[in-house]
Amino acid sequence: MYSGIIRFYSLSNVRKYLKELLERYQRDYDRSSNVVGSLLRTEGGKGMEVIMSKGWAKVGAMFVNVADPEKGGMEMTFQLVTEMKPRITKTEEILKTFESVEGLAIQADATFLLYLHGGIPERLVVDSTESKPENFAYKGDFATV
Amino acid sequence: MEDERQDVLEVSVVLESVEASRLSEKANENANSNYSLNVSLSERDRSTETLVLAYSLELTSQPQAGRFKVSGTATLKGNRDEIKEGITAPDEKQPPPILVMIYERVYSTLYVLSGALKVPHPMPNLLKKGS
Repeated sequence: MYSGIIRFYSLSNVRKYLKELLERYQRDYDRSSNVVGSLLRTEGGKGMEVIMSKGWAKVGAMFVNVADPEKGGMEMTFQLVTEMKPRITKTEEILKTFESVEGLAIQADATFLLYLHGGIPERLVVDSTESKPENFAYKGDFATV
Repeated sequence: MEDERQDVLEVSVVLESVEASRLSEKANENANSNYSLNVSLSERDRSTETLVLAYSLELTSQPQAGRFKVSGTATLKGNRDEIKEGITAPDEKQPPPILVMIYERVYSTLYVLSGALKVPHPMPNLLKKGS
């Protein structure tokens, strides 16, 4: 979900996508940080030990936690929150400065390829070789049978 | 992106406006059901995986007993080829698949309204005029 290439038919659609992406990240961040924050408040004074689990063991190429699922889950949520912050900051920055992309001299029928890496919009290709399909319109007369 | 890939065209139809009229005092549900249908579809918005169409269908019975006008939007979700297939009529004599789907989705409303107005029920299939 967080790495891939998406084609857009207009820059306004790219902007709309970035805005929705940022809103989604902020929603996920708020939800996850509320979970961690609420636990820290409930277990007041204990600090990070209520989040950090000692039940991890390396199994094959990954860490597995069988002994302490509650804290293990909380630790993962905390890690997720930590990783979300820079993603939000970067996406915000891209959106704030998107006007400079919109100010470029771009062919009217160009399409756009957006490259997302780790959830962060990193590159944009202005593709003048593939244009948006023609506007669809249809009129017809029928009989019901 | 790979995990959001659509395998089948997904279509959602929203009915935004309905007008229904009984045109003759003599009309009744059991009379011959012969409706002509005037259709218009136009693109409202498009992205690589979504096409939003505005539709308008006007049905008039012959002889004139009832008239219905329904309009709204149809949203097609799929990849570029699936969307193209959904809006392209197989041949000149047939309607585009999306029109058939729209008519199927609004048909129950038309059926109920025609019953309420005591005018003939429209039939459930479409045939292009002149074919």
